[in-house]
Amino acid sequence: MTTKTDILIDVKNLQKSFGEIDVLKGINTQIKKGEVVVIIGPSGSGKSTFLRTLNLLEMPTGGKIFFEGVDITNPQTNINLHRQKMGMVFQQFNLFPHMTILKNMTIAPIKLLGKTKAQAESEAMDLLKKVGLQDRADAYPSQLSGGQKQRVAIVRALAMNPDVMLFDEPTSALDPEMVGEVLAVMKELAASGMTMVVVTHEMGFAKEVADRVLFIDEGVIMEEGTPKEVFENPKSPRLQDFLSKVLI
Amino acid sequence: MQNIFDYFGSLGKSFNTVFIAKDRYIQLFTGLFNTLKITAGALFIGLIIGVIVAAVRSSYDKNLESLKLKGGIGYIVMSILNGICKVYLTIIRGTPVVVQLMIAYFVIFVSVKDGVPIGIFAFGINSGAYVAEIFRGGIMSIDNGQFEAGRSLGFNYVQTMWHIIIPQMFKAVLPTLCNEFIALLKETSVAGYVGVIDLTKAGNSIAGVTYNYFLPLLTVAAIYLVMVLILTSLVARLERRLRKSDH
Repeated sequence: MTTKTDILIDVKNLQKSFGEIDVLKGINTQIKKGEVVVIIGPSGSGKSTFLRTLNLLEMPTGGKIFFEGVDITNPQTNINLHRQKMGMVFQQFNLFPHMTILKNMTIAPIKLLGKTKAQAESEAMDLLKKVGLQDRADAYPSQLSGGQKQRVAIVRALAMNPDVMLFDEPTSALDPEMVGEVLAVMKELAASGMTMVVVTHEMGFAKEVADRVLFIDEGVIMEEGTPKEVFENPKSPRLQDFLSKVLI
Repeated sequence: MQNIFDYFGSLGKSFNTVFIAKDRYIQLFTGLFNTLKITAGALFIGLIIGVIVAAVRSSYDKNLESLKLKGGIGYIVMSILNGICKVYLTIIRGTPVVVQLMIAYFVIFVSVKDGVPIGIFAFGINSGAYVAEIFRGGIMSIDNGQFEAGRSLGFNYVQTMWHIIIPQMFKAVLPTLCNEFIALLKETSVAGYVGVIDLTKAGNSIAGVTYNYFLPLLTVAAIYLVMVLILTSLVARLERRLRKSDH
């Protein structure tokens, strides 16, 4: 039995349409503190759109999202304050190319959390050490490999000390040999107790790290469960079909 | 051989008549000073108008969908502001700058007799329209992921623009912006239409009284050229500094 305070994100009948096209057709789920939720599904299923509505990068066209008890879909809510608590990692890294790695990581804590430069920089250096990139602090993003960029993107989000981390296909734009280093950082993060919502095609990661797997197709959660349930005993034909295509 | 000596001899004499006699070179300096004043003032006004108009236009384009979803006063205000900006751009870019300048001087500010502030105003308003479109193009060319990354960290719209989008945009548009500044500097040569003694007007009036067009006009052209060269090299230096981050 989970108490109300255990629920970090509560999604109620979430809908999103782009013009005539209904991408999300009523999604209901609750994400608990410390939970690692992995979202899988075919491309075009709405899984990335779902993730992006969680911090309102996509504005839902219906339904509600409660984050830490607050209805963030209410126009009166100051979404910027809540976004500070929701770190996001993108497929294309989206590091700021005109800033050094250190500046990338410190600008938000300094400007938004009011940290001093020294304090923000020492925290950023600690985070960079954790991902083995402390010697790249003064480099610019263009000097980094894809895997390094994504590790920086993860610690940039962590520098805001978020309550949840959202990952939007974090390894899809990487060369195969760099996928491992990014997944390793994510596994470590999961082990540290961070709440994570991850959209990915890495089924191995889902099996190993997820507490719960959501299979989204045609804009709804078609099936969900523990990795064991979802991968070893899929019930819906769509999931069986999907898994037969992605699992070798 | 004799002809060449004659030629240089007469050139020396004309030089004397055109620049030295009656301290006519002072007119050129006054003209140059007015040209610089109008250009610098217009540049400043143009940049401010450009930033504001580009901000309105690109926020409207970027947020149209969510504005419509939220509806209400925000959508109406943004639509009106965007409409005003569009009318401004259409009128300013659709009419010649000389006509705008004359309207400013002879119609709008009839009581102001000094053409220099009028020139600053008119050229500033004119330049603003071009700068606005340069900036808007620059903002739209920045990958939307940059914007999303900023917003996802918790920056609001204005902070994201200021810290993340505009510095990248500025770097991207610098060569085009430099072009606009050069055009502006040269366009101020029509300021004579409203009684301003600018560089061109000064050269022209010296030519008129000395009946010598060759020297004054070539001198004026050379001064413009030197100013443009200085401007270009300053911008090139700035570009090199900003390019630090792309290795």
